[in-house]
Amino acid sequence: MISGLVQLFLWQGLGELLSKFFLPGIPGPVLGLLLLLTFLCLKGQVNSDLAMVADSFRQHLGLLFVPASVGVLLFLPELQTHALAVGTALVVSVILTIAVTAIVLKVFWYFSLKRHKHITINKGQRHE
Amino acid sequence: MNKRIPISEIWVYLSGDPLFALIITLATYQIGYLLYVRAKRNPLVNPVAISVVLTCLAIALLDMPYEKYFEGAQFVHFLLGTATVALAVPIYNGFKRMQGKIFHIWVALTVGSTVSIVSAVAIAKWMGASDNIIGSMYAKSVTAPIAMGIAERLNVSPTLTAVFTVITGMLGTILAPYILNSVKVHQWWIRGTAIGVGAHGLGITRAFSVNEEAGVYASMAMGLNGVISAIGLPIVLTYLRPHLGF
Repeated sequence: MISGLVQLFLWQGLGELLSKFFLPGIPGPVLGLLLLLTFLCLKGQVNSDLAMVADSFRQHLGLLFVPASVGVLLFLPELQTHALAVGTALVVSVILTIAVTAIVLKVFWYFSLKRHKHITINKGQRHE
Repeated sequence: MNKRIPISEIWVYLSGDPLFALIITLATYQIGYLLYVRAKRNPLVNPVAISVVLTCLAIALLDMPYEKYFEGAQFVHFLLGTATVALAVPIYNGFKRMQGKIFHIWVALTVGSTVSIVSAVAIAKWMGASDNIIGSMYAKSVTAPIAMGIAERLNVSPTLTAVFTVITGMLGTILAPYILNSVKVHQWWIRGTAIGVGAHGLGITRAFSVNEEAGVYASMAMGLNGVISAIGLPIVLTYLRPHLGF
């Protein structure tokens, strides 16, 4: 477990350095993520320590944003005034996001299926 | 001779220690998580929401200022960056599976998160929300750790962004099955990807419990969407904000 954490901290550190000196527009951890992803793609596998730590982070990701979310206390009056706007924006946006993402993929899928069928039909004809 | 220490002094000592904020944060999350498991992972019983509400109640009752609480809780907060880096693993696992679909997924994620941002910001603005709230709508479609990093760079409140993200996750997880059925999408990988974009971490847990393939695609989509937004959003906003009017 420790080895997994150490790996993550090192990639994070590298990302922070890169962000500080070369790419200030992108958060350091995101650069760390990209570096680690490149490393994993080159290496072709995830070591078990890293996989374990990454999995527990994914499972309890929510815990990590509790401290920041508690700051909502400071915004309660503002949120109450605009409750309807916030609620509508969030609900409509979430419905559109999920629907549109799914429809785009479905359209792609439909076309690639059609193309695929076309190719197999052509192949079939050639065999005849 | 035996000087008794009044309770209030013990209290002053305890509440000045970072340990106290850590205990509240972790214990309330533990309570939330137990309830969540007990409720058969019903998205309405969101462990994060429960933990946030209980922690708010606790520090309000104890009259502890938020800054004081955060001094201790920042140790948990710090790990957000590390958790972001760890998202590389699910993205990589998704990559291995999706041979040939990467372009489709990339386009779908870009379109999906654009729709998400534009709709949320436009509606909030149209309904007259405050600038703070409108600003925090930009990053809410991204998983919270990355969203907060983006929020800091856009100079909007990371707190409101995190809160909106948590609410989005709950809404997305509850609504996703109905939305996906009504647009007649039944392939697990498409359902998973859409959930990863729309419902974040909570949606992923749900997706894994329904279908393993959906879970893998959801994790990958959440991470990848975060990366695309973290790189794209600041660029788009810097160049387009003056022209868009919001």
